[in-house]
Amino acid sequence: MEEKILNYTETKEDELRRVRAALLNILEDTEEARKEAVRERNKTMAMIENLPDGILLLNNKNEVEIISPLVVEFLRKNKEDIVGKQFSDLLDSEELKEFKELIIDSKKRKINKVTKKEMSIGKRMDIEVYTVFLEGIQEEEGGVLIILHDITRDKLVERMKTEFVSIAAHQLRTPLSAIKWTLRMVLDGDTGTISPEQRELLEKTYVSNERMINLINDLLNVSRIEEGRFLYKQESASLEEIVSTVIDSSQELLKMKKMALSFERPKEILPTLNVDREKMELAVQNLLENAVKYTPEGGKITISLEKDSHDVIFKIKDTGVGIPEIQHERIFTKFFRGDNVIRMETEGSGLGLYTTRNIIEAHKGKIWFDSKEGAGTTFTFTIPIPNAKY
Amino acid sequence: MFKKILLVEDDKFLRELMSKKLITLGYEVVSAADGESGLVMIKEAKPDVVLLDLILPGINGFEVLEKAKQDPAIANIPVVILSNLGQTEDIEKGLALGAKDFLVKAHFTPQEIVNKLKSILG
Repeated sequence: MEEKILNYTETKEDELRRVRAALLNILEDTEEARKEAVRERNKTMAMIENLPDGILLLNNKNEVEIISPLVVEFLRKNKEDIVGKQFSDLLDSEELKEFKELIIDSKKRKINKVTKKEMSIGKRMDIEVYTVFLEGIQEEEGGVLIILHDITRDKLVERMKTEFVSIAAHQLRTPLSAIKWTLRMVLDGDTGTISPEQRELLEKTYVSNERMINLINDLLNVSRIEEGRFLYKQESASLEEIVSTVIDSSQELLKMKKMALSFERPKEILPTLNVDREKMELAVQNLLENAVKYTPEGGKITISLEKDSHDVIFKIKDTGVGIPEIQHERIFTKFFRGDNVIRMETEGSGLGLYTTRNIIEAHKGKIWFDSKEGAGTTFTFTIPIPNAKY
Repeated sequence: MFKKILLVEDDKFLRELMSKKLITLGYEVVSAADGESGLVMIKEAKPDVVLLDLILPGINGFEVLEKAKQDPAIANIPVVILSNLGQTEDIEKGLALGAKDFLVKAHFTPQEIVNKLKSILG
């Protein structure tokens, strides 16, 4: 009996020892896991604390949970007045009014959707704001990550650059006007008769000067594209009418190069589009001028207009020198000129297609081309039909 | 009766070229080289039409135009802007202030400018 009890006690003691060891193990694991969590948290916090951007992490109830130190600087508020507060409560000041559109009902969030937008804090800062919706493991989790990237300096440099180009262009026009007026008056005989030889030279000078004036106009257009205020006034207009206007004003150019142009008008009346008329004319004109410039004398240009269910489609086809395949990628970049056309001695600033693409894209359209060196090029652009049914 | 044209232009050479063209064609020409004297000349010389530059020393062309249109004695004298500004905003501003036309210098020859004036003078 006694032996039995002794055995029993021993068994119990063994068991207890085993339980204790197991518990210690678990505790050790937990401690390790805790340390690991702390390490991870420290790492994350170190990253957030030292980021060159402002970071706000909102929870599911739109309360601010974590911020990076730059947020304090950007918003000019104390950390205590930001963390734990409702995000919308931070935006009560006039200079933060643009940020109100970031307040989105948590039910309407689309997970993993990243949006990017430029906003300003009063007049003192320009910020690029990224919003990322985060998924939670449970329904009440999830949140929003808002990243504020300071672009004040970039914006300033951009504005200064644009302003410089704009002023420089205006200043350059004045002496060129004087040259233009003088040459024209001499050519018109206002200062007495000139010999045919003198006339020929002066005519050529006049043409060179006109090139310079056009180059400045191109530069002005480019600087305005970069200012983002290129589309000035959008109105309802017919693309067919715009194309006709451009063709009419290009008759002399076509005649000079003995170029045949056919305009295949649409079979049905096309819907009117919402466009900046002047800019659309410029876009069409650039494409037409390119076709004329880069097609040898006696060539053929075909312009056509049609529509599908959501776009009006413009096509211009030439029988010109084409674009070298190796350069296809760069064709719409600023100051680009094809290797084969530079040798042709044709004038060109390398700004036409850059400007054109920007105009088309500002109208939410698309532009592309097909080209074979030596065979010709077709440029196509589309402009969306307002209220088209998709 | 020769028509009288006032040139408000700060660039001496451009002023001379334009005067020469106009005089050759039989116009009477008076000129001013800055905004203030331009405004005074509109009142004193009572021209039939004003060719007005925009970037001028002192008060600029927009201000000259605005003041001229506020003065009933000269408000009806037609003003044509002749400038090397020429962005859509500038053009709309000029026309809104009452200019008859907006010509970008570098885009017109003297003869083309005179033709515009002729059509305004009737």
